[in-house]
Amino acid sequence: MRVKKLFELEEYVTFHIAKMEKEKLGMRRYSGELQDLKDEYRELHMSGEQIEQLRKQIEKGRRDRKRLGRKNAVTRWSVAAAACVALFILLPNTSAGVANAMSRIPVLGRLVNVVTYRDYSYEDDRHSAQITVPGIIVELPEGEAVDPEIQNTMQKTAEEINAQMREISDRLIAEFEEGLQYKEGYQNMIVDSEIVSRTDDYFTLKLICYQGAGSGAEWDYFYTVDLNTGKQLALSDLFVEGADFITPVSENIKEQMRTRMAEDESRMYWVDSTDMPEWNFEAITEETSFYLNEDGKLVICFNEGDVAPMYMGCVEFEIPWETVEEIWGGCR
Amino acid sequence: MTGRKAKEEKIEQLLLENYNRYYRLAFSYVHNADDAGDIVQNGAYKAIRGSGNLKRKEYASTWIYRIMLNEIYSFFQQQKTVSMEAMEEEYGTEPAEMDTYEDFDLRAALETLSVEDKLVVELRYFEDMKLEEIAEILNENLSTVKSRLYRSLKKLRVKLSESEEVV
Repeated sequence: MRVKKLFELEEYVTFHIAKMEKEKLGMRRYSGELQDLKDEYRELHMSGEQIEQLRKQIEKGRRDRKRLGRKNAVTRWSVAAAACVALFILLPNTSAGVANAMSRIPVLGRLVNVVTYRDYSYEDDRHSAQITVPGIIVELPEGEAVDPEIQNTMQKTAEEINAQMREISDRLIAEFEEGLQYKEGYQNMIVDSEIVSRTDDYFTLKLICYQGAGSGAEWDYFYTVDLNTGKQLALSDLFVEGADFITPVSENIKEQMRTRMAEDESRMYWVDSTDMPEWNFEAITEETSFYLNEDGKLVICFNEGDVAPMYMGCVEFEIPWETVEEIWGGCR
Repeated sequence: MTGRKAKEEKIEQLLLENYNRYYRLAFSYVHNADDAGDIVQNGAYKAIRGSGNLKRKEYASTWIYRIMLNEIYSFFQQQKTVSMEAMEEEYGTEPAEMDTYEDFDLRAALETLSVEDKLVVELRYFEDMKLEEIAEILNENLSTVKSRLYRSLKKLRVKLSESEEVV
């Protein structure tokens, strides 16, 4: 502000008193104006033709959803069919001779299992919690010999992962219980787990957390154990030491985002956005969640809202083998 | 299966009850009937098609609002490809339809708010929605939404008094 010359002072004061008066007036007028704007806003409505179009779009959405639904039904049936086939293979295995032969093959996958460590549930009109805290246990199947060192390492890894999962669950339970004090709010909390992948080499447990107050958000933690060493795997452990895996994997994810958006316009990811560049997905980090699927391929996972609008849910990207082939170190 | 059906029915019912609300919201951003209509129609299509993704029937209302909001966002994203100059030439630098003179200041001030801030003001004051509900739509906590509202109101007033000062 410019320095006021003395003779301007009186004028200055008068001006500002007037300004303050005006502001007061402005605020009073403002609420009236807001009402006018509101009336005008609420007068807007869709034309008959637009409503007709809307109904058509609803119909179209219904048709397309059914088509999608059928595709899912087929997949479910195949899984059921696969389960039947597995049953037939398993049945002959129950004969004593085969079982004995099998037990000599050290199938480490069978070493780890998941049990429920703690069940916490609460339900009233406004609050609901279903918290099932999993625990990884290491158990030696009967008649099977496993390197005791690996078994020990595995035991330690399991305990570490269990401690982390308990800490997360305890924190959420504490938060939930604190929320119970507020009579006004609604809250919903779910903690659950899923074995997302289990091969001869790897085992991945997903801890699923869902917290809602009206609308909610899901976020997950992935714990992958290398069954050959008994150690928990970090993303960088999968690659040759010192190799830059972040760039090729991130670039591939962006490419997949673009393709998915082009194929299906209801899908949206934050990539190449000029409107909200600060939301754009740039790169994964060493801490980004991942697992190795049954095909042994790397899958990168993001929580709700991380790289896409919330309605997209948690999203996953399977990284093609070609992208990481050159720097792949496998398990160490 | 029945759960999914129930969700779809709920979504459809809400769409048919509230289409004017979504339309008004969209219109306040895009300032033209055709684009606002497109936004609502696309949003409705996606909501119905994606009804299986809705976690709980009770969340349907805020869920639809979010889809509509995303449609508004992507509209602006597409608009970005049209050059700014071409748009200004067509629409002028000021929001369209500024014929009523007495509320010029407030309307113009409203246009300067961010997408989210404007949404809070409009849904709170024009649609009489609860702040809790708006918080859910934006997936923000209540205090954030409250501060958005206070900040916006302050801005609207400041803008108002500044332009009065000019006169």
